[in-house]
Amino acid sequence: MRRSVRRNGTRLGVAKILFLALFVLIGGRAIQLQMLQGDRLMRLGQRQHLKEWIVLPKRGALFDRTGEPLALSMESQSVYARPHRIHDPSKLSQALARILNMRVADVKEKITAEKPFVWVRRQLSSAEAEKIQVLNAEGIGMFYEPKRYYPQGQLAGQLIGFVGRDSEGLEGVELKYNDYIRGETGSSVAERDALGRRVLVQGVEGLHIPPGSDIHLTLDTSIQHMAEKELEASILKYRAKAGVAVVVEPFTGEVLALANYPSFDPNNYSKHSAEQRRNRAVTDSFEPGSTFKTILAAAALEESVVGKDDLFYCEMGKYPYAGKVIHDTHAHGWLPFSKILQVSSNIGFTKVAEKMKKDRFFRYIEKFGFGESTGIDVPGEAAGLLRRPEKWSSVDLATHAFGQGLSATPMQLVMAYAAIANGGFLMRPYVMRRAVGPTGEILLANQPHVVRRVISEKTSTLLASILKDVTTEGGTGVMANVDGFDVAGKTGTAQKADPVHGGYAAKKRVASFVGFVPANNPRLVALVLIDEPEVNVYGGVVAAPVFRNIAQGALRHLAVAPRKAVPIPAAPSGPEPLRQLVKRPPVKATDNAAEATPDFVGLSFREALEKAQSLKVKVRLQGNGYVVKQTPAAGDRWHDEGVLVLSLQG
Amino acid sequence: MASAAGAKTRVVPDSKRERFARKGRARRRGFFAVIILAVGLIGLVWLHVWLRLQVVHMGYVLSTTSKLQNRLEQENRELKIELAMMTSPDRLESLARRRLGLKQPEKGQVIVLP
Repeated sequence: MRRSVRRNGTRLGVAKILFLALFVLIGGRAIQLQMLQGDRLMRLGQRQHLKEWIVLPKRGALFDRTGEPLALSMESQSVYARPHRIHDPSKLSQALARILNMRVADVKEKITAEKPFVWVRRQLSSAEAEKIQVLNAEGIGMFYEPKRYYPQGQLAGQLIGFVGRDSEGLEGVELKYNDYIRGETGSSVAERDALGRRVLVQGVEGLHIPPGSDIHLTLDTSIQHMAEKELEASILKYRAKAGVAVVVEPFTGEVLALANYPSFDPNNYSKHSAEQRRNRAVTDSFEPGSTFKTILAAAALEESVVGKDDLFYCEMGKYPYAGKVIHDTHAHGWLPFSKILQVSSNIGFTKVAEKMKKDRFFRYIEKFGFGESTGIDVPGEAAGLLRRPEKWSSVDLATHAFGQGLSATPMQLVMAYAAIANGGFLMRPYVMRRAVGPTGEILLANQPHVVRRVISEKTSTLLASILKDVTTEGGTGVMANVDGFDVAGKTGTAQKADPVHGGYAAKKRVASFVGFVPANNPRLVALVLIDEPEVNVYGGVVAAPVFRNIAQGALRHLAVAPRKAVPIPAAPSGPEPLRQLVKRPPVKATDNAAEATPDFVGLSFREALEKAQSLKVKVRLQGNGYVVKQTPAAGDRWHDEGVLVLSLQG
Repeated sequence: MASAAGAKTRVVPDSKRERFARKGRARRRGFFAVIILAVGLIGLVWLHVWLRLQVVHMGYVLSTTSKLQNRLEQENRELKIELAMMTSPDRLESLARRRLGLKQPEKGQVIVLP
């Protein structure tokens, strides 16, 4: 009995020791795995079932002022090769070359390169990507990359700029606001299964990487389109080398349109030369020519050096000055100051400059913003060339008076005119209205910024009235006249410097027109500059009609009502098919066969105009709103002059 | 004597019998408790495994849905680009001129209300 108890106790002790040993063994192994090799093993495990997924930056969009998209991003696929995994390069290169429309030798060279990774082609079309996926070839893979699209094509190409393949802005607004538009590159770690598929067991929060901000520009797509179309038409008509058109809101400095020719499509930026990609409105400076006379006129009026009606003798077209002879296009005798601006007399303005003196004149040139950049939010802006008066030669006072011997960018010139238009304030131009973050918050916004006051409101109003004469009968800019509106502006025909032989080129000219409309309450300032036209060189002929067409379209687009009633053209003499569809009641005749005046009372402005147009009745409108009174009254006989006077109110 | 001896061995006091019965009941209760604990633990383990499988399953569902979301967003972007291309002023103007025979309004045809 005692022996059996002893035997059982021994067995129990052995079992205890055995279990203890096992426990120590297991515990030791656990310590080895968890504590000594824990980090390494965890890494090995994670490498097998965790994968880092790279989230590429989503670039924000660009919109115009009405919300029309100008630049959008989309993911496109790029095809790469891992050469050492490819078994049959010859066969594969043929298949790839056929799909990608590349030379077989080029593809083969890439996929047999002694590199672990090589791009075969980046940013494929969706059709190409699908065909390559169908190939399902070993050693060939696809990679998603963002691609930038410019849906409006070449519209404002130079201003918008473009991005490179790595989604970095390289030119224009894309470059200037790259930090806002770009978005963040991020990554998220997710589990993957044995087949390499992503299993989002941790949820999707980690996948969200904020995209870049959207940029809303001041541009108006419709006005921009008009400006580009009209500019191109004129350049082709007059066989010019290049051109610029800029439209700006004078009271804010917002750029509504900025057109360049030759045009540039940012969708295919690599196919265009740097010359075509250049935004000439801010990067190039020109000698402004006669458009600069307005600057001297503003300075002289502000300083009371001249009055509107002061007389100047224009020497009948030839004026010896500082050893040179100043010429006018047409010979003039005595002219009042307002008239010398209207006919653009070089001699008249030389005499104004003599009265002004060079230091005072230079001070105003600087005040109007010449010789320094305007501060527009577009990269690569030039400051123009302006010499200090100490360095002027004896003839420079005269040449500066008519805009030669100095250079300015189109943007500087248009902003100087904007200062005259808005009552004397030099504004900073801008193209970006606001940057809106992914959650709708405004990250950055541009506000109108006054650089300085240049001239008084009185001078501004007086100068605007003088500039109006330029576009009326007898002025050089009559072709800039817009129906129903008063246009204030100035033509320019500048000689171009000859960089090879020195001096000025014999035939090369820069034709321009700068102006604002309506003259008394300007809604827009526009500049048109045509570089080296061949068929005709005069700004009044080449550039002024472009201004007129752009301004006419822009005012209509902005729904600016004309001050003067636009004459309605007579009905065409040919057959009118539509007229047969409209049955109009016959006009009632009175007893003595004279026509009675129709009833216009109660009609709106538009209805009255339409009715007058349809009845071919001459009307004179007084006031705004609805017709409250008409003379002669409805049903009465017509007066001798045959004009119906409508009084509107409300 | 024999009867006395028989009485000695057979007669078990009631209190002792009850003690045995109590011990037996307690042992059975302990046994059942262990069984219940074991079943509960196994149940918990199964629940954990089931939940883990559900998480993995939902991970797959999320992954598929995320891919679908990406694809739809991509389609949306494509459509936006297409819409913008289709409505670009240049294209609209050329279509209006070519297909519909429209032209710029003549002088006086547009009446802008004040």
